[in-house]
Amino acid sequence: MAPPPQGFRLPKPIRRLQRQAPIYALQTLSGLSTRLRDITGREVLDMNRIMEVVQFVYQQRELARRGANYAVDDFGFDAQWTESFITVFKSLYRDYWRVETVGVEHVPPTGRALLVANHAGVLPWDGTMIKTAVYTEHSHPRHVRALVASQFMGMPVMSWFLRRTGQAVGHPDDTRRLLERDELVLVFPEGTRGTGKSFRDRYRLRRFGRGGFVATAIRARAPIIPVSVVGSEEIYPMVGDLRPVARLLGLPYFPVTPFWPWLGPLGMIPLPSKWRIQFHAPIDVSDLSFKDADDQHQVMALADEVRDTIQRGIYDNLKLRRGVFL
Amino acid sequence: MTPKRVLVTGVSNPLGAEVARRLSPQVPYLFGCDIADPISALEGMDFVHADTRLSVIGKLIRQLKIDTLVHLAVLIDSPHDSRSVHETNVIGTMNVLVGCAAPSSAVRRLVVKSSQAVYGAGPNDPSFFSEDMVNFDKVASGLTRDLLEMEQLVSEYTLRNESCDPTVLRLGLRVSEGTSLARYLSLPIVPTFAGFDPRLQLMHEDDAVEAIVRATMGHHPGVFNVAGDGVVLLSQAIGVMGGSPAPILPPYGRWLARLALRMFAGIDLPAHLADIMAFGSVMDCSRLESSFAWKPSYSSRQAMDALAVGKQIELIEAPSPPQEYELQVYLQQRRRRERHLSPSGAARHLPINGEEFQKN
Repeated sequence: MAPPPQGFRLPKPIRRLQRQAPIYALQTLSGLSTRLRDITGREVLDMNRIMEVVQFVYQQRELARRGANYAVDDFGFDAQWTESFITVFKSLYRDYWRVETVGVEHVPPTGRALLVANHAGVLPWDGTMIKTAVYTEHSHPRHVRALVASQFMGMPVMSWFLRRTGQAVGHPDDTRRLLERDELVLVFPEGTRGTGKSFRDRYRLRRFGRGGFVATAIRARAPIIPVSVVGSEEIYPMVGDLRPVARLLGLPYFPVTPFWPWLGPLGMIPLPSKWRIQFHAPIDVSDLSFKDADDQHQVMALADEVRDTIQRGIYDNLKLRRGVFL
Repeated sequence: MTPKRVLVTGVSNPLGAEVARRLSPQVPYLFGCDIADPISALEGMDFVHADTRLSVIGKLIRQLKIDTLVHLAVLIDSPHDSRSVHETNVIGTMNVLVGCAAPSSAVRRLVVKSSQAVYGAGPNDPSFFSEDMVNFDKVASGLTRDLLEMEQLVSEYTLRNESCDPTVLRLGLRVSEGTSLARYLSLPIVPTFAGFDPRLQLMHEDDAVEAIVRATMGHHPGVFNVAGDGVVLLSQAIGVMGGSPAPILPPYGRWLARLALRMFAGIDLPAHLADIMAFGSVMDCSRLESSFAWKPSYSSRQAMDALAVGKQIELIEAPSPPQEYELQVYLQQRRRRERHLSPSGAARHLPINGEEFQKN
């Protein structure tokens, strides 16, 4: 950091106060929190949460100090930077959508695996929540590398944010390369057909492409882990699709929800639905050969098996949920 | 086959000059041709003023009995207009290939310079380009289209001639003094496309020279990506150069941004570079590594650091090109005279020299 200009300096007590201010503020808050707990008998101000916010702010300051001295991997993934954002996603995960995750132990602690999930909700929040689930709930925190539709890579802000947090393009070559580096790869075979479906069709899986993900998994000898996500359908109940506007802006769809585009940016706030994520038992493909990867019948059979597992998981978890927002 | 009679086209650009300098102790006969005067005097090289855009280049190749041709007269990063770039890259390469394909030609090895720009850059591209990902049917424009056309010509030539397997080197973006990328990154405030921070793969000039020399001296037929290890984000590259990025260029309608850059910053960012500044372009160089058993010594980050260090070093005034050229002519004349005079030099007498070639 640049030294302050020599000519003008604040008096010493004020400078000391400046330095100590965050500590005084935290002390006051913790005192207030204890008082409120004594008065009301329950946790009103949770000091752990407040400390997380403080930690986040300090982390960001540290990251800004790195300058150009940091390394990204060949895909443009900056692990340190991504981990600093986990705090934000964790509070969404825990407090906003109250995600309940089961079967996270099916994700291997090391080595490659292909996670296959259903895709819903206009914006890909389900991807972030699966990533957060594996990073925070797993005994060996791992970064999941999701594959995104190439349209997002052409969008400003989106493109660098997605790349920097570890995503790659939904191209068979990218899937292969990531799996060969023993990464956890997340794919949404439904693609934009899943995110852009109307609210009426919620929890009905779309077509699973041509099963390309199965062929890639067989070639890379990576187990396939089906993932069912419940709750993502209700975050933006899409009641209409303005095709001409979408075509004009080069988007796959232009959603109309009860709040978007009527309320402007406020309409982009997702609804606080109750989420459940289930990781299913891995499907082993290591006994299949390269020849099976070219066998369309074999590939489609496996893709259907994965699709059925996810669909069944969705119905099971819908039953376990007491209500959309509960 | 070890190269005996080597012709380097485009020897007057810095890359060609450096390749010739490295080749001259290794090969018995070295010739260089270009339309511009050479930028450095080389004792062991015979320089010929010849334009690859004219079919006379074919005659030169045959009559000098060239067995190894290093085709570097391919404009990648030049201030010329698109028309002359097309002429040089496509028509020039065609003339060279016609010269190589003639029945009387002795060419057994051909090294062609190409560029990373052949892949183009767009949001739909995979994260890494491997050599077979070039789509010749792609709707491309500018340099990308010219390079696609050029490489197509080379691959057709490969199919028709079994006696000669060309090596095509797709060189990565080079950051050395004077390239338009280096000038762009050296701005104190660098205007970038709003909301984009692409991955860049860079390469040091020394590695480009080394790759071309290795391709000339060894036998490595095929197409190869050549670039440094790893990637550097655009914002990182700007940070290394000590500037600060200003995300003010509109990401849509990139020609408008290029126009603004030319008008306000005086920097001509070519169309293919503008695409890379938005979407990035990274090549997979594993084929180079396995076939050449060598890989570039500078990683992308090191190439960037080298440029930043070079920026701080004060440039020493080099002798101006005309003086250099006069020196070159003098040396060449002296060599010729020596060859005519000495009896041992007679064996080394060239079948054709500059004057006779002009007569033909």
